[in-house]
Amino acid sequence: MSNVSAKQFDTVPAGNPAVESPLCWSYQQQKTANSANAGVVLREKALLGHVVLRGGAIVLDEAVRQVLGISLPAKPNTVERDEAGERSIQWISPDEWLVIVPGGEECALERSLRETLGDAHVSIVNVSGGQTVLTLAGDNAREVLMKTVSFDVHPHAFPVGKGVTTIFAKATVVLRRTSETEWELVVRRSFADYCYRWLLDASAEYGIDTQ
Amino acid sequence: MTQTNRIDAGGRVDRSQTLEFTFNGQSYKGLKGDTLASALLANGVDIVNRSFKYSRARGIVAAGAEEPNAVVQLGAREETQVPNVRATQQALYKGLVARSTNGWPNVQRDVMSWVGRLGGGFMPPGFYYKTFMAPASMWMTYEKYIRKGAGLGRAPHESDPDIYDHMHHHCDVMVVGAGPAGLAAALSAARAGARVILCDEQEEMGGSLLDSRETLDGVSAVRWVEETVKELASLENVLLLPRTTANGYHDHNFVTLHERRTEHLADTASEAGLAGQARARLHRVRAGQVVLASGTHERPLVYANNDLPGNMLAGAVSTYIRRYAVVPGKKLVLSTSNDHAYRAALDWKEAGRQVVAIVDARANPDGDLVRQARDSGIRVITGSSVVEARGGQRVTGARVCAIDLERFVVTGKVEELECDTIASSGGYSPVVHLSSHTGTRPQWNEELLGFLPGEVKGMISAGGVAGHFGLDETLADGERAGRQAAQLTGFEDAQAITLPATRGLRDGKACALYQVPHEKTALRAPKQFVDLQNDVTAAGIELATREGFESIEHVKRYTALGFGTDQGKLGNINGMAIAARCLDRSIPDVGTTVFRPNYTPITFGAIVGRHCDELFDPKRYTALHQWHMENGAEFEDVGQWKRPWYFPRTVNGKKETMHEAVARECLAVREKVGILDASTLGKIDIQGPDAREFLGRVYTNKWAQLAPGRVRYGLMCKDDGMLMDDGTTSCLADNHFLMTTTTGGAAGVLEWLELWHQTEWPELQVYFNSVTDHWATMTVTGPDARKLLSELTDLDLDKESFKFMDWRDATVAEVPARIFRISFTGELAFEINVQANYALHVWKKLFEHGEKYDLTPYGTETMHVLRAEKGLIIVGQDTDGSVTPEDLGMQWAIGYDKPFPWIGKRALSRPDTLRGNRKQFVGLKPKDSSVVLEEGAQIVFDKEQSIPMAMKGHVTSSYYSPSLGHGFALAVVVEGRERMGQTVYLPMTDGTMHEAEIVSPVFIDPKGERQNV
Repeated sequence: MSNVSAKQFDTVPAGNPAVESPLCWSYQQQKTANSANAGVVLREKALLGHVVLRGGAIVLDEAVRQVLGISLPAKPNTVERDEAGERSIQWISPDEWLVIVPGGEECALERSLRETLGDAHVSIVNVSGGQTVLTLAGDNAREVLMKTVSFDVHPHAFPVGKGVTTIFAKATVVLRRTSETEWELVVRRSFADYCYRWLLDASAEYGIDTQ
Repeated sequence: MTQTNRIDAGGRVDRSQTLEFTFNGQSYKGLKGDTLASALLANGVDIVNRSFKYSRARGIVAAGAEEPNAVVQLGAREETQVPNVRATQQALYKGLVARSTNGWPNVQRDVMSWVGRLGGGFMPPGFYYKTFMAPASMWMTYEKYIRKGAGLGRAPHESDPDIYDHMHHHCDVMVVGAGPAGLAAALSAARAGARVILCDEQEEMGGSLLDSRETLDGVSAVRWVEETVKELASLENVLLLPRTTANGYHDHNFVTLHERRTEHLADTASEAGLAGQARARLHRVRAGQVVLASGTHERPLVYANNDLPGNMLAGAVSTYIRRYAVVPGKKLVLSTSNDHAYRAALDWKEAGRQVVAIVDARANPDGDLVRQARDSGIRVITGSSVVEARGGQRVTGARVCAIDLERFVVTGKVEELECDTIASSGGYSPVVHLSSHTGTRPQWNEELLGFLPGEVKGMISAGGVAGHFGLDETLADGERAGRQAAQLTGFEDAQAITLPATRGLRDGKACALYQVPHEKTALRAPKQFVDLQNDVTAAGIELATREGFESIEHVKRYTALGFGTDQGKLGNINGMAIAARCLDRSIPDVGTTVFRPNYTPITFGAIVGRHCDELFDPKRYTALHQWHMENGAEFEDVGQWKRPWYFPRTVNGKKETMHEAVARECLAVREKVGILDASTLGKIDIQGPDAREFLGRVYTNKWAQLAPGRVRYGLMCKDDGMLMDDGTTSCLADNHFLMTTTTGGAAGVLEWLELWHQTEWPELQVYFNSVTDHWATMTVTGPDARKLLSELTDLDLDKESFKFMDWRDATVAEVPARIFRISFTGELAFEINVQANYALHVWKKLFEHGEKYDLTPYGTETMHVLRAEKGLIIVGQDTDGSVTPEDLGMQWAIGYDKPFPWIGKRALSRPDTLRGNRKQFVGLKPKDSSVVLEEGAQIVFDKEQSIPMAMKGHVTSSYYSPSLGHGFALAVVVEGRERMGQTVYLPMTDGTMHEAEIVSPVFIDPKGERQNV
C-alpha cells in the first residue's frame, strides 16, 4: 500500500460466511401480502459497497475518473452514475461524496483510490456494513415520499440525477432520483427497520409490493 | 320529526338522499349536502347547547367556522368521540351521532342555569375567581363541579380506531380560501404555470358565491364556480384541497392545513368504506407566496338578549336558505347597519315566508338592495335598531327603537314586532386570523370599519380580507393577487385573465354600529352578548374597564373575550369597540388582541400523524438483534437503541428474575467467559495528517506517542472543564485513528469534533466519519476468553505479542475482524469488530465454540455491575455535567503540559474547579451487607443534624455484587478522597438511615492483574 499513513481494512471475507442485509430481521417481522395493482413497489438493493470520500474536489475528481471512469459531481446535490447505473457518486457536502458500487468492489476501490491519491489529504471510509439501499417505485411513490420527507420531491424541484440528505420521518436518509419512475433511499443500518416499517405504513393506502 | 323548515326547491342539497342522524338522543332526517347545522335547522331544532358560564339556551347563529354555539361532541361510539366540532362545519352523513357539549342533564332542562340567574342574573367577569377563591385549598373541589357544568367537549376514553397522517408540500402559490377572490387568484396563478395549492374549509369550493344572488356573465354564479374548479382540477400544477382548513400560518410561509378526509362520510374511515385511509391529514406547506383570500366574517349586532335561539347572522340566514334550502323560521326581523345584509330579507321573502321588517340604523339607506327590498313591499324602518330580543326558549319578538348613533342613546318610543327570527348585521370583519399568526398586527381601516391584515413578507391578501366587498372588486383583486404571486415566484410573464361580468350592484355606505344602545344602561339592561362562546357581555367589558383594565389584552384575559376554540371570530371587534367607547378612545388606539393558531380546533390525531405506537420514535437495532430476541433478552432503551438488558433463563420451569439473571451473568464473566453486544458504542473514523494533533486538543490526555497497533482511553471535556464523554481511541496508522464514544454521546461527539474543526481549527487537516453502524462489536470477556477466541481466529493471542491495550487485524470465523484488547469488565477481554453484515455469523460461531466454556451472553445491567466493581465510570451516570476529571481522581489522564491548550484546560484553573471542597468520586461500602443503596440517595456527615441536613454528596451507581457478596456503590462526596474510611449516612424518605464507609471506588482487583493475564 502506497499510502502508509492511513490503514485500509478489507472487510470482504475470503471464504463464504453467512451475510445478512440490515433488513433481514425486518423481513421476518413485517410479512406483507403484496397487493395486486400496488401503487408502491419497494425493493432493497442489499449488500452493496458504500464508501465515503472526503477531500478536495479536484484531487478526488482526478482519482475517481481514473479508478471508476466517472467524474466527481461538482454540482451540489447531484449524482453521477456509470453507464450501467451500477456505480454512482453523490455530492453530500462541499468536501464529501458517497460512492456506491456493486458489493465486494468496495475494498478494491479503496485500495485503487489510495494508490492513485498517494499522500493527498483525503479520507476514504468504507461504510458498507452501515447502510443499505431501498428503491421506491410505482404510481404513488412520490406521495409516500411526501408523507415522509420534508424536501420538495416534485419533478420540477427534484429531477432525475438529484440526490440529497434529508429528514426521513424522525430519522435521516440520503434520497436520490434514479429515473423518472424510481427513487433510491440510502438508510443507516440501525434505522433501517424503522424506515422500512414507516414505508410499509405510508404505502398501505396505495397498496405495496415488497418482493 | 319532519323537516318543517325545508323548502321544496333550490339549494345544493340532494333531495333524493335522505340521511338519518341522531342529536342528543333524538332521531332526525336530513339530506345529502346538509351540514349538521342545516339539518338541525331544517328539523326546527332551536336549542343546540347551553352557554359556557350562564347556561343559557343557545341556538345556531352562523353557517361557518365562526359559529360560537353549535359546538358538538361527535361520534357514535366511545372510541370515535371527537369533541368541539362545529355543527356548521360538519357534513351530515348517514348514522351521524352528535350531542351538545354543554348542558347537564340536558340542554332543554339545564341544572346549571341557576348559576346564570344568581344574584338577579348577574355574574361579573372574574366571578369564579372571586367567588370560589376561599379557601384556596377547596378550588380543586369547586373546579370539578364547575367544569362538569360548564365544560366544552370531552376526550374519548378509548383508542381511536382511525389513523391520521402528514404530508409535506412545496408550492409557488398557496391560496387560502376558494371564494371569488381565491378562485380568481388560483386560476390566474395556475394559468401562468405556477404550482398552486388551493384550500377551502368548506365541503365545496365557491365560498360566498354558493349562496350569492349575483350572476356572473349573466348566469348563476355557481356555474362559474363549477367551471373554474373543473379547469383547476384538470391542471397538473394545481392541487385542490376542499374540506381543508388553513389552521396555522407560521414563519417563512410555512402553512399548516388540516384536511378532513373521511369524517364527512362516516364515523370512521372503515365505515366509510375507506379502511386504511387517514381520517384527517395535516398538510405542511412551504409556499413561495401565500394569497390570503379568507374573506370576511359578518359581525352580529350587540343588543339585549341577542343570544336567544332565533338570533342569527344575516348572511347565515341567506346561506341556509340558498345553499341548504332551509328557512330557519317563519317571521323575520332584520337589523342592519349595511346594505349587503338586505339579501337575508330578500331571500327569506322569496322562500315564501314573512319578513316583518328591516330595521336599518342608517337614516337614509339608498343602495340597490335597499331599493329592491322596498320595491318588493318589505317594511324598512330607518334610523332604528333592534334593541332587545324577546322570548324564553326562542325569539318571540323584537323591540325596535330609534337610536342616536353619536350619543349612544335610544331616542324614540319602542315598537314591539312579533317575530321568531332576528337576523343582524353590523358589518363585515376581514378574517385576519391567519396573518396574525405570523405576529403582525392587523391595521384598522376607518373607511371599511374593520381591521385589515398587517403586512406579512410573502403574503398578498385578496378580496374580502383585503377590504374589497363588492363582487366585481373581489374577483379583480383576487386575479391581481394570483398574477402578482406567480410573477414573484418566477412566472414573470403571467398574463391577466378575463373575469366574468357581474351585474355591478351598488351598495350604499354602511354606518358604524357595534353595541346597540338600550333604554337602560348596559349593566341594567338584559344581557347584551359580545362573545357567545365565552359568555362575555357588553356589561362585562364595561365593568372590566371600570375595574381598571385598560389594555385590551387585560380586558381579554379578565373577561375571556376571544378565548378558546372561538378565537374571537364574532366577538373581538365588537368587544374592542365597546372597550374603546368605555375608555373614550378610538378602536385603533385600543388595538386588537392576537389571534393564535389553530384557527379552528384540530384533533390530536392530526397533530400526531403516524408518529405513534411502533412509529412513535425510531427504534435502533444492532445487527445481532434477532439473536437477542430469539434468546429471550429483556431490552433497555439507551437513547434510541434497544440494548439487551439481561438474558433471563428459565430454571426448573421458572424464569429468572433480573437480580438472579444478573448475578449469574456477573459470575460467568468473572469465572468463565461472557459475551456482550457492544455495537451501539459510537465509532468515529478519523483520518488526516493532523488527526493526532486534533485528538490532543479534544482529549485531556496525551496522544503524541500512541503507536499504530495501540489503544488509549481518553477523556473529553466541554470548554467549561466538565467531562462530556469518554472512550478508547486506537491508532490504526500514523494518520488514522478510530475513536469510540458512549452509546448516547455518539452523534453529539461527532458534531463537537466538526464544530471545533470547522470554527476554531480549520487549518488542521483531518476528516471525521461515523462508522458506528458499519461495525458490529462483540466483547468476549472472562478468564476463558482467550481459549474461546483462539479457536476461531488466526491471530496469536499470546499475552506478550498481543498485550493489554493492543489492537490487531485478524479473521474471526473466516470474517475479517479487528480485535482490541481492552476491558470494561476488569477481566481478560477482547473486543471484536466485524463488518456488521457478517456479525450474526461470527456471533453464532462464537456460541458454537463457546458451549464447552459455558459462554454466557450478558446485557447492559451486568456490564454496569462489572465496570462499577472496577470503579470505571459511565458518563451521564456517575457524572452529570458538573464533574471534572480531577473530581473523578483521573489526574493520570490529564496532560497539563501538552503544548496546545486542549478544550477545558483553562476552565480547570478557575477558582471554582480548584477549590478544595469539591465533590470527589469514591466508593461506598454499606455497613449492612444486605443493603443496596438507592442511586441518587443523598449523603450526610452528621446523622443527628436537624432537617434541613447539610447534603454532602450523592450515590451515582449502586448494585449488588455477586463476586463480593454484598452491595456496593459509587458516589460523589465532598472532599471524598480525604475521607477514606470515614462513615457517612444516607437518610431515606421512609425515615430509615443507612450507614456506609467511604472506600476506594475500585472494589475488585485494584492492581488490574486479571485483565493483564
